[in-house]
Amino acid sequence: MQTWFDMKRIEHAGRLAVAAAALAFAPSSGAAPTSPTAVDYARDIQPLLAKHCYSCHGPEKVKGGLRLDTKKHAFEGGDTGPAIVVGKGAESLLYKNISGANPDSIMPPKGERLSEAQVALIKSWIDAGAPWPADTEVAAAPKVDHWSFKPVQRTNPPKVRNSRWVTNPIDNFVLARLEKEKIKPSPEADRATLIRRLSMDLLGLLPKATEVEAFVKDKSPRAYEDLVDRLLASPHFGERWGRHWLDLARYADSDGYEKDTPRPYAYIYRDWVIAAINRDLPFDQFTIEQLAGDLLPNATEEQKIATGFHRNTLTNKEGGVDKEEFRCKAVVDRVSTTGTVWLGLTVACAECHTHKYDPITQKEFYQMFAFFNNADELDMPAPTPDERAKYEAAKQTWDAQQTALKKEWDAFVAADITDKLAAWEQEAQSAAVPWTMLDVKKTDATGGVALKVQADKSIVATGANPDTATYTVEAETELPGITGFRLEVLDDPDAKKGVGRSKGKNFVLNEFTVQVVGPDGKKRTVKPAQALANHSQDNYQVGGAIDGDAKSGWAIKPLYDQNHLAVFPLKEELKLSPGSKLIFTLDQKYGTQHTIAQFRLSVTATKETIAASMMPDAIAKILNTDAAQRTAKQKAELAKYYRETVDPEGAKLTQRLAEHAKKAPALPPTKAQTLVERIDQPRDTFIHIRGDFLRKGNPVEPGTLAVLNPFKPRDTTPDRLDFAKWLVDPANPLTGRVAANHVWRTLFGRGLVPTVEDFGVRGEKPSHPELLDWLASEYIRLGWSRKALVKTILMSSAYRQSSAHRPELAERDPLNTLLSRQNRYRLDAENVRDIYLSASGLLNPKIGGPSIRPPLPADIAALGYANSVKWQESPGAEKYRRGMYIFFQRTVPYPMLMTFDAPDSNVTCTRRERSNTPLQALTLMNDVVFFECSQALARRVADDESTLDEKIKHLFQSALSRQPTKPELARLKQLYFEHLVALEQQPEAATKILGLPESKDSKPKIELNANERATMVALARVVLNLDEFITRE
Amino acid sequence: MKNDFDAQDLARMTRRDFLATSASGIGTIALATMLKQDGLLAGEANIADPLAPKAPHFAPKAKAIISIYMEGAPSQMDLFDPKPKLNELDGQKLPDSLLEKVRFAFIQKEGARLMASPRKFSKHGQSGMDFSDLLPHIATCADDICMIRSMHTDQFNHHPGQLMMQCGTSMFGRPTMGAWLTYGLGSESQNLPGYVVLTAGRGTSGGASLWSSGFLPSNYAGVLFRNQGDPVLNLSNPPGITREMQHYGLDAVNDLNKMRYARVNDPEIASRINAYELAFRMQAAAPELMDISSEPQHIRDAYGIDRVEPEIKASRGGGPGQFRAFATNCLLARRLVERGVRFINIFHASWDHHSNLNNELTHNSLMADQPIAALIKDLKQRGLLDSTMVFWASEFGRTPLGENRAGFQTVSGRDHHPFAFTLWLAGGGIKGGQVVGETDDIGWNIVKDPVHVHDLHATMLNRFGLEHTKLTYRFQGRDFRLTDVAGKLVPQMMA
Repeated sequence: MQTWFDMKRIEHAGRLAVAAAALAFAPSSGAAPTSPTAVDYARDIQPLLAKHCYSCHGPEKVKGGLRLDTKKHAFEGGDTGPAIVVGKGAESLLYKNISGANPDSIMPPKGERLSEAQVALIKSWIDAGAPWPADTEVAAAPKVDHWSFKPVQRTNPPKVRNSRWVTNPIDNFVLARLEKEKIKPSPEADRATLIRRLSMDLLGLLPKATEVEAFVKDKSPRAYEDLVDRLLASPHFGERWGRHWLDLARYADSDGYEKDTPRPYAYIYRDWVIAAINRDLPFDQFTIEQLAGDLLPNATEEQKIATGFHRNTLTNKEGGVDKEEFRCKAVVDRVSTTGTVWLGLTVACAECHTHKYDPITQKEFYQMFAFFNNADELDMPAPTPDERAKYEAAKQTWDAQQTALKKEWDAFVAADITDKLAAWEQEAQSAAVPWTMLDVKKTDATGGVALKVQADKSIVATGANPDTATYTVEAETELPGITGFRLEVLDDPDAKKGVGRSKGKNFVLNEFTVQVVGPDGKKRTVKPAQALANHSQDNYQVGGAIDGDAKSGWAIKPLYDQNHLAVFPLKEELKLSPGSKLIFTLDQKYGTQHTIAQFRLSVTATKETIAASMMPDAIAKILNTDAAQRTAKQKAELAKYYRETVDPEGAKLTQRLAEHAKKAPALPPTKAQTLVERIDQPRDTFIHIRGDFLRKGNPVEPGTLAVLNPFKPRDTTPDRLDFAKWLVDPANPLTGRVAANHVWRTLFGRGLVPTVEDFGVRGEKPSHPELLDWLASEYIRLGWSRKALVKTILMSSAYRQSSAHRPELAERDPLNTLLSRQNRYRLDAENVRDIYLSASGLLNPKIGGPSIRPPLPADIAALGYANSVKWQESPGAEKYRRGMYIFFQRTVPYPMLMTFDAPDSNVTCTRRERSNTPLQALTLMNDVVFFECSQALARRVADDESTLDEKIKHLFQSALSRQPTKPELARLKQLYFEHLVALEQQPEAATKILGLPESKDSKPKIELNANERATMVALARVVLNLDEFITRE
Repeated sequence: MKNDFDAQDLARMTRRDFLATSASGIGTIALATMLKQDGLLAGEANIADPLAPKAPHFAPKAKAIISIYMEGAPSQMDLFDPKPKLNELDGQKLPDSLLEKVRFAFIQKEGARLMASPRKFSKHGQSGMDFSDLLPHIATCADDICMIRSMHTDQFNHHPGQLMMQCGTSMFGRPTMGAWLTYGLGSESQNLPGYVVLTAGRGTSGGASLWSSGFLPSNYAGVLFRNQGDPVLNLSNPPGITREMQHYGLDAVNDLNKMRYARVNDPEIASRINAYELAFRMQAAAPELMDISSEPQHIRDAYGIDRVEPEIKASRGGGPGQFRAFATNCLLARRLVERGVRFINIFHASWDHHSNLNNELTHNSLMADQPIAALIKDLKQRGLLDSTMVFWASEFGRTPLGENRAGFQTVSGRDHHPFAFTLWLAGGGIKGGQVVGETDDIGWNIVKDPVHVHDLHATMLNRFGLEHTKLTYRFQGRDFRLTDVAGKLVPQMMA
């Protein structure tokens, strides 16, 4: 019986037991070999720390966030708290870990341990107050010799032998390296491939056949650059490059956890991204607005919308979650994502402990956490133009009516009420009972009801809702004598709830009894003389609550949705000696949950008659103050009360105003998800020990990573804006490199640093470090213009190379690290869909707006939790929109997207996998959307051309932007005849394959029979399933 | 080749047969093989087939696993862990000192009371393992079952808890256990995915994150088999396209891809050819798999496929048809194991009984008990249980305290309890007929042999011949594992 009461969380239990055991072995303090005063830091302690500790806890390495080489750091401690508790050796972590008292962490873990005498020496030194002379110099930040933390170095492009190949400095860097390896670059890709590559890289769409033809024929030396300029100016550029950014932003259209509630207006941020990229918002400004747009002086609506970047974190609305836990999780994600996206560092590793490899202490993690800790989530009205117009019209009408009403009110207020008020005061005196609300000491209830005391001293019944219940409330008062009690029964503001907990919102108070417990512990019952109520239900008069009959009682039908009260005057004053307690018992035995939902108890010592008056206590208090003593404020309050509630004309006007207020036009529903800095009660930030939000360590101030550029806040209270500016400070060695590497990765399929998300010690090193630095500095030199940097790379010969693999280099450079060719890779999920739609002519190229829902089998949507996912298929042409607009429901993502490696968008994604699976094959061969594309493409081809060869060529050209080779043509012709023969044996098949009936206006030029037309669908399907089609070459 | 190319024929075809019948003469499969022989794929041997079987770290006991995941946290003290003391203390409060330290999802601390279990427990098998009267069939498998009564987890809410059990962390974006296993061992199946997910009833709160491959390539993600329509999304040809036409089309795709390969030499093309072939074989193999009409009546009866669903009002279970769907999934799991599939995860949602526990637990148990027991016995009589691990689990357990949540008529459910709960395993190198661990008199805390989720995962991987600290994947500069930085083997579980 005893054992199960002492229950602790299992993981703690284990640790405590071991700690207790270890304590028994700790040397007693009396065993210290020398007297405490004799210990000298410089002579006795420092050499020990230097020998045994500095190698891991010194200027070179800061394991566990702890340094022991300076006083400041040693006293501050590391991830698990201070190393030294001054005067308390046995409690100090330093002592615990070197003595072995902490078996989870024995120090030093490797190498020679300290002797018992040495351990005792350190303990006695700490016991004596750990005297340590002041640090002679401010300890420098840890020295780390890692390439990415050093300043960006712009070097002159190296000389190359084959200078004719060089278009711009990028080529010098690439070619110099190739020449060193004695490798020739690949030839330029053919024109058709180039336009296709550019269209896919910049727009994510296929070039039109006419565009391909024009470009192939254009012999002008400016043809390529003109094409680049044209594509960079296309509004689809913002879509394609916006989608890359949305990967980083972990953009989705729903909450993520469990119920996965939709976020219907998440797209407002997506639209911002597309527009910002299209107008080439410089990357530094792009950064600042997304991280701290709300803090910019005179921030525009657009700049506030930009903060939606960090609103894409998950939200958990599961019942019973700790909101603070998930708020902290979101903030942690904001820090980690920022670290990954801009710094290319795995700062997330430092959430629970100092980073194992990179110089990021846990303290620094929480210093960055501090920047985001006071960024509150705000859904800001962001009406669409249409909504805005409608709202403003309605508002105008309403405002006019409001002004008229206000005018009437002002006129009423202007009238003199002195006499009326005085008369009322006289009359109201009797209703002005001075009540004192009781301080509740204890509550209890039967039937699993939990009574909770609120700040306003009312008591709410929560927990179970049994048929009958008895509430017991214990309270104390300082009044020496009492003449009456008051029980207020309070209505819940929620319209669905009333004063009672029954289905009909009623209650029956069968018996209301009061007992007094004297300081001697003696109990006696107090009998009220009578009971009065503001309202009683027929046959349930309030008197029933004190008549001793458990069947009779007080109820309030039909006024369920307003406050009520009952007062209980006493026969004579009840004298209370100090220390007395009052115990109230509310018996409610009627059944079917006829119990009180919320109530409050008061007492009075008035000598006057006690009425069941609904007058607010504050007004009663003023009335009980001598008129001459009342302050101006009290007088005004009284007049206001009189005007608004007592005076018939005033009461009427007040009601009209209230009713009009209810009719105020609702703000348009569209809201942008934004962050806004918390002004009231800003949160302090602490280290979360082991990442546990409940275990607060040392407090921290906002700050950045010591290993990087200096932090220069605008003033003494650094905020997110300072942080964002620090990120894009040209002195920041990481942001420029990481951003330039992202651009490179997008145009070559692989970064110069392949681990685009990790520029730390464990990441891969850049293949072309000088080129990376040149690009990073060039990005800044170009004013952070994304389009300019993209163009620079596109113009290089390196970019224009053929992507054909070179068998002679397959073993030497299998991953094409040396860039002896372009890369060849499958398109991203959304673009696979996009090029299908664009090849077939079905694409609806509309840009921006709410997300769409293409067809999805019902059972897939049903996989959402508790039918929470409603997938209403988008109507008409909406369903032919680009892949990036597909509604992303995090728990039930659109299968095609996931099959082609779209990120799950729960965490930031810096580079997508490119898998190659049978499910992809099944999707492209059989999915209804993709088959429809084959049908549409086949229709176009079958209608337009004459001979079979021409039809096949047209088909090929539409999909692959090139003509088939002879063997390819022959193979497709073979398929044509195989298929035709097969169809002839399946009389029903052709109509099914053709699907939709032809529309009237696109009458075929040449009559083909159904089998031939169906065969063209099969051919289109084959061509659209070729590796080359979904590959960017 | 004949035109009536039916599913049965295709399913019987081996790779070689497929090549021989391929209309284009040169078999496309041969390409990948040819590439390997030519050394073009040297050093990237698996690029064409990332699911090719791989050798484990040491000799394995288990080859396949059937996970039966009961989403929502079934009540351990009403199924597996009898607590007579709890029944004595029914209606009593817990001391405030204890209540202060713990958190609940819904229980109001002020009125929290212990709640007895109405179930009757009895002892089964040679070890005398306790099961409640809700699980009479599973109880007959006691000698094969290793029951762990001392499980504990770090997570308190459902979705994070499910991620913890499936991925070893509550963080998103990490691979599930099935993904780790197929990544570590590849797939034995030539015609089906290595990792298959089956569901019955309504969806789980974790959704697709429970069978995700996380940062591993999507080749290792679970493939969801459906209960209606195509067993796999897009498995059927479009309307009018016969299997013969599909075959012609596929041959043309592969031949044209091969021509492209000759020009650009990209090994990824070989990988795509492989993928198209597996897709084509799946088109035949998956319907054959799902067609249980070939199973004899006594097998169907043993699994209870045609049982009549009882009229218990349990709306949260996902509506009618679950009994058939769940029983069918258990039978399909055996058929999948027979066909070389590595990891099968059967999900059933709605064991989150905050209220109406008695009725709903009775309903769910009635649904699950017979088919699960039949599955264990069926595997055993076919000699498959030794190499197939059956794993029954949820994200956490339930409190010995009853719920007194606002709006609830009566106290009739239990809240979340991550500190001590029960799950069990059978077969696949697991030592049956024993109980691991013990909880205190009311099932609040563990008093003997605690097993953390990481320990469980480490032990499960061990049975597959995998050393959990060595099954790693480098992502964002760190070598990730299923067991994070923890996990101790539980030797007691090992046969």
